Amino acid sequence: MKIALFIPCLVNQMMPHVGIATVELLEKLGHQVILPKGQTCCGQPMTNSGCFDEAKKTTLKLLNAFKGVECDAIVCPAASCLVAAKENFHEFDTSPEAQAVIDKLYELTEFLHDVAPIKAFNKPFNHKISLQLSCHGIRMLDLATPSEQMGPRTNKVEAVLKAIPSIEIVYPGRHDECCGFGGTFAVDEGAVSAKMGKDKAQAHAETGAKYAVGFDPSCLLHLDGMMRRQKLPIETLHIAEVINAAL
Amino acid sequence: MSTNHTSGAGSATHAKKAEIFCQDEARVDWHSKALWMLREKRDRAASSIPEWEQLRELGSQLKLHTLTHLDQYLEEFEKNCHANGIQVHWAKDGAEHNQIVHKILAEKQVKKLVKSKSMLTEECHLNPYLESHGIEVIDTDLGERIIQLAKQPPSHIVVPAIHMKKEEVGDLFHEKLGTDAGASDPLYLTRAARAHLREQFLSADAAMTGVNMAIADKGAVVVCTNEGNADMGANLPKLQLHSMGIDKIVPNLDSAAVILRTLARNATGQPVTTYSAFYRGPQTDGEMHIIIVDNGRTDMLQDKILAESLKCIRCGGCLNTCPVYRRSGGYSYNYTIPGPIGIAVGAQADDTNSIPWACTLCGSCSYVCPTKVPLDKIIHHHRRLKAKAGKLPYGKRSYMPLVGNFMASETMLNCSMSVARTALRILPGAVLKPFSGAWGKYRELPIAPKSSFETWFNKNRGQ
Ligand code: SF4
Repeated sequence: MKIALFIPCLVNQMMPHVGIATVELLEKLGHQVILPKGQTCCGQPMTNSGCFDEAKKTTLKLLNAFKGVECDAIVCPAASCLVAAKENFHEFDTSPEAQAVIDKLYELTEFLHDVAPIKAFNKPFNHKISLQLSCHGIRMLDLATPSEQMGPRTNKVEAVLKAIPSIEIVYPGRHDECCGFGGTFAVDEGAVSAKMGKDKAQAHAETGAKYAVGFDPSCLLHLDGMMRRQKLPIETLHIAEVINAAL
Repeated sequence: MSTNHTSGAGSATHAKKAEIFCQDEARVDWHSKALWMLREKRDRAASSIPEWEQLRELGSQLKLHTLTHLDQYLEEFEKNCHANGIQVHWAKDGAEHNQIVHKILAEKQVKKLVKSKSMLTEECHLNPYLESHGIEVIDTDLGERIIQLAKQPPSHIVVPAIHMKKEEVGDLFHEKLGTDAGASDPLYLTRAARAHLREQFLSADAAMTGVNMAIADKGAVVVCTNEGNADMGANLPKLQLHSMGIDKIVPNLDSAAVILRTLARNATGQPVTTYSAFYRGPQTDGEMHIIIVDNGRTDMLQDKILAESLKCIRCGGCLNTCPVYRRSGGYSYNYTIPGPIGIAVGAQADDTNSIPWACTLCGSCSYVCPTKVPLDKIIHHHRRLKAKAGKLPYGKRSYMPLVGNFMASETMLNCSMSVARTALRILPGAVLKPFSGAWGKYRELPIAPKSSFETWFNKNRGQ
């Protein structure tokens, strides 16, 4: 498939390794990867603050970067940004061209689970990992059934990862409780955000896993800062890095 | 909505109050754990009935239906109440509610009123009003009595004294009820409270309760308690009063049954509240009054998104699951009702304009809610309303336009981020920390990469 990458500002500027792993793994799976120019941010920092007027220019800039780009799918290795992009595109542009872009948007896990499943992994991943089920991915993108919901359960993240030879997957206590990042929440509500992050980092460390693995770079960045501050014997990895290492 | 102000409470932002609460980390852990236990009990109770998600959907639909036909059902309710010999009063706001209650009590020369769980009377600030008119008000739910003795407002809508440890309750009871000094055994304390409350019940001239549901086609109200105190109250004196918001109405017994099945399960994990009493008329020679209160609810109905907050049945489930509430405590929300639902119904009354931001938008509350109140959407919407009204907290009003322009410009974003990455790599953390605000105060700063992803891509996959 021909895949256009949607690389959010945080990944582009602060976590390029997540983008690189995404490119490499998609290429190993036989896809052609392109990076449309002119992407900055999905507008989430503004819309989540209520500032829709301020978000418009940024959101439309991102949308325009994808309009008319020839591709089969637009893939993003960040669930929260993907959700925000979808919602904000809808908010500011109701044209059929915008809808065409929205229809092609996939979060990486979603793409690898629903659209182009991985047939086989070539290499083992000899580690225990603790899965970080970040909120927007599970409660707004259905990557996994949230713990509040009753009835049949799905978990796309685990389904994708568990096919990797010799990987061991565990979960922290209160497994899908929010890690406390929340965008500007981390700064405006510093004390509560930090306490939530500390509890979550601790819960991951208590599993004895070597890595806390997730699909949302912003949560991972926050947890990483917490783990290093608390000197916990665990590190964060993005799901793309794990998959890339096993292909 | 001006009537919804919690007097004097709105002086500091949620973040400030939460920061103070967070200083005692052991207490935060204890508070968070106590409430999480309720969430776990709720999960077990909900999972024990296979049709849980259908019940949520039904609950949501029936509340929406009733809210969109409110006039019709309220009129039907009033008519049927009259037929049952119940007197119905209408109050447009808290002040009017309090005056109506006082008038009824004054006519009968009531000196002592026993009251059972009602967040509505808290919302209307009834107690201080009646007390200023010489009427003694005794809250009779154990938790409510504890905080009443401690002269505190509730910190949770179902377990109002959840913030107090049993040792603190022991000290309070020692001082107020004469229990043994240092005693903190819950059974002993509960017995002492029971004996004390019994005296109050026997000497009261009137009883008042909140209303969990008002059944339109029966002209009856449903009151749920675990201690039976509403019933002790309502059955002893001849004068009984029930206060309800207009949103408490349901069409019939079948719809009440749907809510009864989810209410206690979602609140405490019980299959049903121990006492679910249906009152449909006064005692022989007695009087029964129902006061139906608006207090901003019709205004809320005008906004399609805010209107859904009136589907709430006050189970408290969203508070128990909320990771922010559990770590910031009920008093940080500047409103009588804390937590996600407190933000939904109280944001407009918060003069610090900060409570809509006391949320990470994680969405757990919306999924936990038995009537599917879209709490995260409502909270998000409140932020937008605040922004529109020029009431942004935390300096957002000044910096958001800058962020907006900054994010929309590749040149600005790339240049400054490249400077930031260099700074993060070269300067020691200790130098940078003071500049990075709350992030660096609590966390290590990110380990910065040398260059951006785009630079890597252009170099390695050159387009
Ligand atoms: S909003 Fe929902 S979960 Fe929260 S108290 Fe109301 S009914 Fe319960």
